[in-house]
Amino acid sequence: MTRRGYLIKRVLQAIFSLWIIATILFFLFRMGLPDPTAALVTEGLNAEQRAAVRAQFGLEEPLWRQYVLFLTNAVQGEFGTSFSYRAPVSEIVWERLANTMILMLAAIVLAYAIGVPLGAWLSWRRGSRTDTAGIFFGLMFRSAPMFWTGMIAILIFGVGLSLFPTSGMRTLPYDADGFFDKIFTLDFLWHAALPVLIVALYYLGSPLLIMRNTMLEVYGEDFIEMARAKGLPERDILYKHAARNALLPVVTQLAVTIGLAAGGQVVVEVVFSWPGLGREILNAVRTSDFPLAQASFLIMAAFVITLNLLVDILYTTLDPRVSFR
Amino acid sequence: MTLPPFLRAAMGPLRIMMQDRLAVIGMCVLGVIIAMALFAPLLSTHDPRHINEIEDGSVLSRGAAGWELQESLGPLALNDAVHQDGISLIVGRGGMGWSREGAGAWSALDLPTGADLHAVALSPEGRAIAVGDGGVILLQDGANWQPVPAPEVNLRGVVWLDADSALMVGTNEDILLLDASSGELSAIDSPVGRDFPLQSVALDVDGTALIVGERGLAIRYDPEDGTAALEQLGSSRDLNHIHIDASGAALVVGERGTLLRRESADSAWSADPAPDTRALRAGWIGDDGSALAAGRNGLIMEWDGSEWAIAQTESERHLRALLVVGDEMLALGSDRFVTRLAPPSREHWFGTDHLGRDLFSQNVHGSQIALLVGFLGATLVVLIGTNVGLIAGYYRGRTETILMRTVDVMYGIPFEPFALILVLLFQPSLTIVILAVSLLTWRTVARLIRSQVLSLRERPFVKAARVAGASDLRIMYLHIFPNVLPLVFLELAIIVGVSIIAEATLSFLGLGPPQAISWGGILHDARLSGAWRTAWWWNLPPGIFIMTTVLSVFFISRSLEVVANPRLRARQ
Repeated sequence: MTRRGYLIKRVLQAIFSLWIIATILFFLFRMGLPDPTAALVTEGLNAEQRAAVRAQFGLEEPLWRQYVLFLTNAVQGEFGTSFSYRAPVSEIVWERLANTMILMLAAIVLAYAIGVPLGAWLSWRRGSRTDTAGIFFGLMFRSAPMFWTGMIAILIFGVGLSLFPTSGMRTLPYDADGFFDKIFTLDFLWHAALPVLIVALYYLGSPLLIMRNTMLEVYGEDFIEMARAKGLPERDILYKHAARNALLPVVTQLAVTIGLAAGGQVVVEVVFSWPGLGREILNAVRTSDFPLAQASFLIMAAFVITLNLLVDILYTTLDPRVSFR
Repeated sequence: MTLPPFLRAAMGPLRIMMQDRLAVIGMCVLGVIIAMALFAPLLSTHDPRHINEIEDGSVLSRGAAGWELQESLGPLALNDAVHQDGISLIVGRGGMGWSREGAGAWSALDLPTGADLHAVALSPEGRAIAVGDGGVILLQDGANWQPVPAPEVNLRGVVWLDADSALMVGTNEDILLLDASSGELSAIDSPVGRDFPLQSVALDVDGTALIVGERGLAIRYDPEDGTAALEQLGSSRDLNHIHIDASGAALVVGERGTLLRRESADSAWSADPAPDTRALRAGWIGDDGSALAAGRNGLIMEWDGSEWAIAQTESERHLRALLVVGDEMLALGSDRFVTRLAPPSREHWFGTDHLGRDLFSQNVHGSQIALLVGFLGATLVVLIGTNVGLIAGYYRGRTETILMRTVDVMYGIPFEPFALILVLLFQPSLTIVILAVSLLTWRTVARLIRSQVLSLRERPFVKAARVAGASDLRIMYLHIFPNVLPLVFLELAIIVGVSIIAEATLSFLGLGPPQAISWGGILHDARLSGAWRTAWWWNLPPGIFIMTTVLSVFFISRSLEVVANPRLRARQ
């Protein structure tokens, strides 16, 4: 199959996946919340507004018409008005998604920047006490629930030592024109330090262990023997010969991790009051803000699928051995 | 020794696992936690849902910043205290008594009774009398305390009228007069006679005694003519305590924040507005116009000359008595109070939470849900994933396309948000939590198993089976499946860990199985109450338990990886 054919096929697959997810979501919501406006009558939605919402989502129409309306709206980016914010859903969702992505990407980059060299180094010291300790701590942070490590970090660094703020992205109140104005400040870095660290510690385990195990496999290969026979220093063998060839599985794992990054880590966002999309979904469903919950989830899924797609395409470019299946 | 072949086949991998020290540690730890879940009711020291209360001989002292808790006087509640000429006495429940001289240390009295003592008084000569439930009257005789035979009435208050006679009141509107020299008791008729409980009695400056009781009842006893007459204090609430200072200032306290004050012997009683409507159990008034009142839940009010203000107290304890000696002010209690946010102690190994529930027992019980969801969820996941992987890998063609596209779709769904929506749409329950955990996780298993099956199905033994006429099902489950079994177990172990964390996450967000005690739920309570920033004993254990359980499962899975992937074996 040609490269272009492969690309077209993958894009079509992604669109298909998104359609299926949208369909599942639609029926899930209709099953769980037959009349989303009913839950909100007490919260100040008067009869008129209620009728408007019902008309917008076509709740009076037969189910298949509602479904078609839902899909049309979704394609056009029309997600209606949030019940609790009284503002268009799409504006809220895009901002929250950016907040989630900046947190997740920073954490993933940090985890891999530390994990990969550390894993290589551990494989070099294989069997030693350092190696065991490395495996132990890598797995330990992987096993500890993030909401707990987050709470402990807040207790130690936020409450105890008062080194870091414990909630939000910026010190309130603040003025910022747009997203980048908001994040390119020291204040933001200061706020992001703890949550990024907690998520990074969680992700650290997989690059560390994968790198270490692949390195161990690579050590058995002939070209390492060859390098040794040439009398190259161990350090050079480790970083120039072995590590480069052991990178592939780590990159695969990185691709999967980035692909799922948009899903975020709801609990970290909750514990650190990080205004991300995951926390927004939680709040939306708690307050029965059904347009917001539905749209947040759909956009999140769309982003996950797009990221998966991009990562896949990039991956085939990086490693030509991966056939265009 | 002849072992069945399947057992012999299992021995090999087991031996490999036993060589890994971390795996052995993991198996031991997991074993302990499984045992903990199985024997949770036996292991837990308390009912995890029970709100624990304790009784304590609590002493609060007025410091510069507020009322501070002092060292307890025994495990029983303190009910009344008195001070005169450097001697202080305290009596309490279970025949408990304490005394001290000056500002020295309290020493326990050896009282000849086990009944609850409710009141104590000192005569002008310094002779003490204590009264309590079941008609107990104890009269001090030098260093000894002599019981005085009395009818079985529950006495609540006592006062010396002069050096030789004491007046005591009880819960059936009893008013008794004791002649201390002869030990003779005489009953005095109450002017009401409707069996209203009388709570307290005090000597007024004119030599008469003022008694207070239920429904605003006040009776004045005149020793001159030996009669008791009704008096109006201006309240119909239950009155609990009366204190009259030598200057004539007096204070009566009662239920629902009742505060009745008299500035001097000649002035009238007036009801003060109280800043709190909880019950008051003790009052004290001094000659300089200062006054104190104490009640349940550590409530202490102070009169600053113009109004009553609630004082800073650090305790939840129920106060029953006030003792003022010079500059020193003590508040005493405490009946059974809820042990909220108690740090770890011998009674509560992991402390208590904001409702006074035992955290050790909660943590022990939490292992049940964690393991149940962990293993049930993982089994479900592996069951779905393995079958999908087997069928897709074996049949190929359209079946594979459909199944693997489904897996692709699954990869587009973010796990946590999906679980949130599922749980919130369909009400939290154990089934929904397990479903939420397992509905998406099988995608990884299906992919892994399929790729393994793809290579296995081309092997000669599968072709041979096919030639021999074996059915598809037979080939899939009897020939291919055993070869992916190590991988299946590896995935099972990993997903047990993932499921436990997923359940903890949902419970932490308050979406776990309702009514169930889980580690995530304990942390949810801690976060919700806001006390987690100070109560470290509340936060630490559940997280450590989750971490240890998942870690042990991961250690086991690491050695399973060696079993599943022989390439790793030689190099470790």
